[in-house]
Amino acid sequence: MLLCLGVNHRTTPIELRERLAFADSKVPDAARAIKSLPGFGESVVLSTCNRVEIYTARAPADPASGFSSLTGYLAEHFDLTPEQSSALTSYHLSETDAARHLFRVVSGLDSMVLGETEIFGQVKAAYDTALKSGATGRDLNKLFQRAFSVGKLVRNETTIQRGSTSVGSVAVELAEKIFGDLRACHVLLIGAGEMSRVCAQSLLSRGAKSIFISNRHYERAAELAAEMKGTALHFDEWDKAVDDVDIVISSTSAPHFVVTPELIAPLMPKRRGRPLFIIDIAVPRDVDPRVNDIEEVYLYDVDALQGIADEGRRERQRSLAKCEEIIEEQLRKFGYAEDSPPSPPVLTHLPPQNLEP
Amino acid sequence: METPRLLLALSTAAFTGAVVQAVLALRAGRWRESRWHLVPMALGFIFQCAFLYLRGQEHGRCPLTNQFEIFIFIGWSIMLLYFLVGAAYRLSLLGVFTAPLLAILQTLALLSPLDQAAKPARGAVNAWLELHASVALIAYAAFALACITGVMFLLQDRLLKRHRINALFHQLPPIHDLAKAITRMMLLGIVLLSIALAASFQINIPITNTKMLFAWGVWALYIVNLLLMWRRRISARQTAWLAIGSFGIVFISIWMISK
Repeated sequence: MLLCLGVNHRTTPIELRERLAFADSKVPDAARAIKSLPGFGESVVLSTCNRVEIYTARAPADPASGFSSLTGYLAEHFDLTPEQSSALTSYHLSETDAARHLFRVVSGLDSMVLGETEIFGQVKAAYDTALKSGATGRDLNKLFQRAFSVGKLVRNETTIQRGSTSVGSVAVELAEKIFGDLRACHVLLIGAGEMSRVCAQSLLSRGAKSIFISNRHYERAAELAAEMKGTALHFDEWDKAVDDVDIVISSTSAPHFVVTPELIAPLMPKRRGRPLFIIDIAVPRDVDPRVNDIEEVYLYDVDALQGIADEGRRERQRSLAKCEEIIEEQLRKFGYAEDSPPSPPVLTHLPPQNLEP
Repeated sequence: METPRLLLALSTAAFTGAVVQAVLALRAGRWRESRWHLVPMALGFIFQCAFLYLRGQEHGRCPLTNQFEIFIFIGWSIMLLYFLVGAAYRLSLLGVFTAPLLAILQTLALLSPLDQAAKPARGAVNAWLELHASVALIAYAAFALACITGVMFLLQDRLLKRHRINALFHQLPPIHDLAKAITRMMLLGIVLLSIALAASFQINIPITNTKMLFAWGVWALYIVNLLLMWRRRISARQTAWLAIGSFGIVFISIWMISK
């Protein structure tokens, strides 16, 4: 009997998930401990920021008693009181539903950001850990290997991971389509708003070389520069830095255009063919739209970025049905002939105090 | 159909197949960079090699005896550089843009009455003449790839400027890489053409003035282009247009001169 017991971002608020998360170093012991529970033969423990799931195979024939044992294990491991334990609501899936759930998780269909790819690696790492600690056997080995093939198939055959779904990731995607490798790129922030900080962080996380921050209040620029390991500039100095940067993110509260074609056009010949990517996050806009008419300058305002992110989400939603079709087909090929419809997610929000020790 | 022409027809079919496969995948949003896309391109190239080998055997020299063979040789050179340079620059979709050019070039060559009997060789085969002609045509192939990369640049530039983030945008390479590739491809063409022209000084049999004038004219045209790019007198977009326009001139001139 294949069983899956879990909590995720849909069923359980973060305050409870973090209470139930397994530390990386504890996962091998947990997998072995679950395997050695009476009636269980194999186990894999998946613990990420959005979910904690236990997969078991060769589990007791009566699913109710199997889930009861697993809940008991969790209560003991996390030192839950009987009240906390009974208040804990998790999803209990068996056989086809459990396999389907794993295939959906690996394919990114159960993730907070539909189609995200990080979960594939996380499941693979969880499986490898269980395999190395000797907690898996024939059934889970076959199931997880098949799940990884299904995950790859879904990504290759559909557009579920196409496009970006947030303003930060759109900025990164566009920057990569302009410059290729971001490791040689310098970023300039004009204004230190939250959205521009998010965009800059996304670019830095993808390897952008350095960041300059200019703000009307120099202290705020210095504070942000310290946080992002960048260089703070006085507000009247930012235009001198444009020569040396590749990406400009503007988000001042100025009521007029701060970046104009008259300012940018003369700088372009000095850039020796290097394009300039300007992201205007301010409302009202900081950058005169005519700047986009200058050759080798690519200007995107917040509406354009948001529009691309929305289209990315729609694109992923459109391919969802195709992904589900592939998963159902693979389930049948894998021997799960039962054609039950996917179970709807359990939407339960427990009051955090229920689990307070 | 005689064997060489059959091989050429198979090569053309392979390139056409590559185009159809890519267009269908792009339209369905399922295009992925994969080594499998190289299969029809490699098949087309193998058939091209076989065609040129048989023709070379038939003539006892480099198969550049008529306009038909010249076009096929340029197509073969484009593929040679595609395999050598395409991978180095990691220019995804370069094959998608190269395959239609080859399919059209070879279809036109097959359907037109260009494949006339070879002129008898003037005396013994001259190695310098063979080197001059073949290296010059490989240089023109480099200019052809610069032209194709230019088309890709203009498409990506247009998509970026108009905020059109579609399937094609996702598959086209970064615009800065395309700009660099155009320059490098043109530079490669100039180096090869310079070698071909240097070889011409060793040829002791007369070459028609028109052909030499044409070769020097092309060389001068691309030297001017390179100087303009090097001195940053033109933008990357203008460079792309220049790569396309210059190859257009080269292509028409080859057509007229080799008639």
